[in-house]
Amino acid sequence: MSVAPHLDPVVVELGRVALRDMRDVSTSLVYSSFLTDDGFEVVHEPDGRVDPNRFASMASSIQALSEAVAREVHIGTSEYVIIAAAQGHVIQLRVPGHPIVLGALFDDDETLGKALSVSRRCATALATALAARPADAPAGGDAHDHAATGGWPAPTASVTA
Amino acid sequence: MGAGKSTAIQTLSETAVVSTEAANTDRATADKDTTTVALDYGEITLGPDEKVRLYGIPGQQRFDFMWSILKDRAEGMVLLVNNDAADPIGEMLAFLDEFRDLYDRGGVIVAATRSDVSATPTVADYAAALSEHRPDLVVPVFTVDPRKDDQMRTVLMTLVANIEMRSMFAAPAAAVAE
Repeated sequence: MSVAPHLDPVVVELGRVALRDMRDVSTSLVYSSFLTDDGFEVVHEPDGRVDPNRFASMASSIQALSEAVAREVHIGTSEYVIIAAAQGHVIQLRVPGHPIVLGALFDDDETLGKALSVSRRCATALATALAARPADAPAGGDAHDHAATGGWPAPTASVTA
Repeated sequence: MGAGKSTAIQTLSETAVVSTEAANTDRATADKDTTTVALDYGEITLGPDEKVRLYGIPGQQRFDFMWSILKDRAEGMVLLVNNDAADPIGEMLAFLDEFRDLYDRGGVIVAATRSDVSATPTVADYAAALSEHRPDLVVPVFTVDPRKDDQMRTVLMTLVANIEMRSMFAAPAAAVAE
């Protein structure tokens, strides 16, 4: 069995780079994290504002619930989860091809569209970096680890609060 | 984790179960492919106007926010305890404490699973532990195979009866108090 993403130092480091790159291009980004499907934090940036473990657990539950809803109502594969609140928003989306989710908290200094754009780029950047790894160093499992979601990318849905 | 909660919901539900399984990366705790990260949901019909909504919730502490969300809305709980765990009685007592308010206003049943894998603790051991450590609680204890429909229905119906009985006994007291 391959190493879980949150226990793989290469995944953690590549994730950290992707999160820092996102922070550099978004003034409204408050907190961001990569997490496993089953709720373990891989890496987060920055420290302080959010409990990383709790955020990872809650984000994985929200991700799973949104995907369950998408399956239930047969809306196919959507792209992200948005929790929109009065003073900010949380965006979640899958890292394509991996059992990893990006969760990002933004304040309301920038538009939701901008936040969504940088989030998508961040998730894609990590996927690209992981794909560039040597073949003998799989990142966070293979497709057989993800029968529960029926392969990647799993469907996601929008949740607005 | 690994007590058979998702299996129990699958066994009981008359409708397609809504599940939120994710690849399990914590093989040290339970050697299984997937784990529930939010909830399992199913339904069972009791009569023309009655149905039981079944929620299975993750056992891991890191998902305790799901416990809070669901226990506030629940009428009762079947606590599945993995008999093959390191300290099943300790886990039972800890979860009973965690869900004490649900016991107080509804009902709780303990059902030990995987007793075919680990014969102990026995039902008597669980009952003795309850008498010793939580003597104020009246909690039925069963062994159950979550894959067996008849066993799960017995447990569920016992829970329903337990809730209704306690409700009946509580009602006159409330009326007197008024």
